[in-house]
Amino acid sequence: MDGVAEILRALFRRALREHGRDASVLTDLIVLRAGSRFGPRLGAQFSNGYRAWAALTPSDLQAYCERHSAWDMESLRRVLLREAQQIYARMLEAHVAEITFREHWAQVAGRMQRGRDEPPPSRLDRFARLIGFGRRSLFDDDGKAAKRGARLLEENLTPAQRQQYAKYRYFDVTGGKTGKCYRIHHGSSMNIDQLDKNGKRVCGWCFFPRGGLVAGDVMLAQKFALELFESEALQVANRLYRY
Amino acid sequence: MSIQIVMDRSGDTRHEFDAADSRAVRVAEERFHELTGKGFRAVALGKDGGPGELLEKFDPNVEQTLFIPQLQGG
Repeated sequence: MDGVAEILRALFRRALREHGRDASVLTDLIVLRAGSRFGPRLGAQFSNGYRAWAALTPSDLQAYCERHSAWDMESLRRVLLREAQQIYARMLEAHVAEITFREHWAQVAGRMQRGRDEPPPSRLDRFARLIGFGRRSLFDDDGKAAKRGARLLEENLTPAQRQQYAKYRYFDVTGGKTGKCYRIHHGSSMNIDQLDKNGKRVCGWCFFPRGGLVAGDVMLAQKFALELFESEALQVANRLYRY
Repeated sequence: MSIQIVMDRSGDTRHEFDAADSRAVRVAEERFHELTGKGFRAVALGKDGGPGELLEKFDPNVEQTLFIPQLQGG
């Protein structure tokens, strides 16, 4: 695992968490040499003026410089910035999709809560909501793919799974072949736990469909794979003993 | 109307066809073979989120077929 790339991801995770949907553009990376009190540090500068810092270990830095043959500060900064911008772009895309997905599920949870107190909407109301009549359409702004994925997932969970997911952001699935219990957490990878009969985690599994799908599609594919072709799915999956 | 739902980067792409229209059925069958040939798994969607059924052969009478891309380990 590339230590510097991991540090960059941690920095970006922090920045994205703090800025929500208003995450800004990565403008620069700053490498600070080791001083009397601190070791070398890496800083990310964003267009809104926000800066995030993390410590670099000398060995990570050395390995990175060797790998990229970057032996002066300027070339190191250039190489780092190029790699960082690629990582950040991917994370930003996933972050926006994630927010869109959460908002959708917050609406679902709200509808479920209201549904306990109100009479169920008529068929016409449901259809009108779906096509966006009289309210914002599900598909009319950014994150269309995430919304479509969320809708497909929502349509294909059992009522119990839907309720569980809206409340806890995971849902349980029974393996079609073995009858084992799996918990699919919200996410696109490393998001499946196998549980024992007491609900305790036995191990994790990581598999997902090819094609860079949105989280809703990935989770739905994982659900059907475990229910309908469990052995094949686990054959391609990586087993994770700890996170 | 029957519908084939293909998972893709846009979320999904939906293809509706009339099971009584032989030409539309032929197109749907070709799509089924093309996708399964590429490694997609075809699932007949169940009611209320039930497990559904894995389809090995094209069946024009299945109301909703979901195509899941080939899986890979992560």
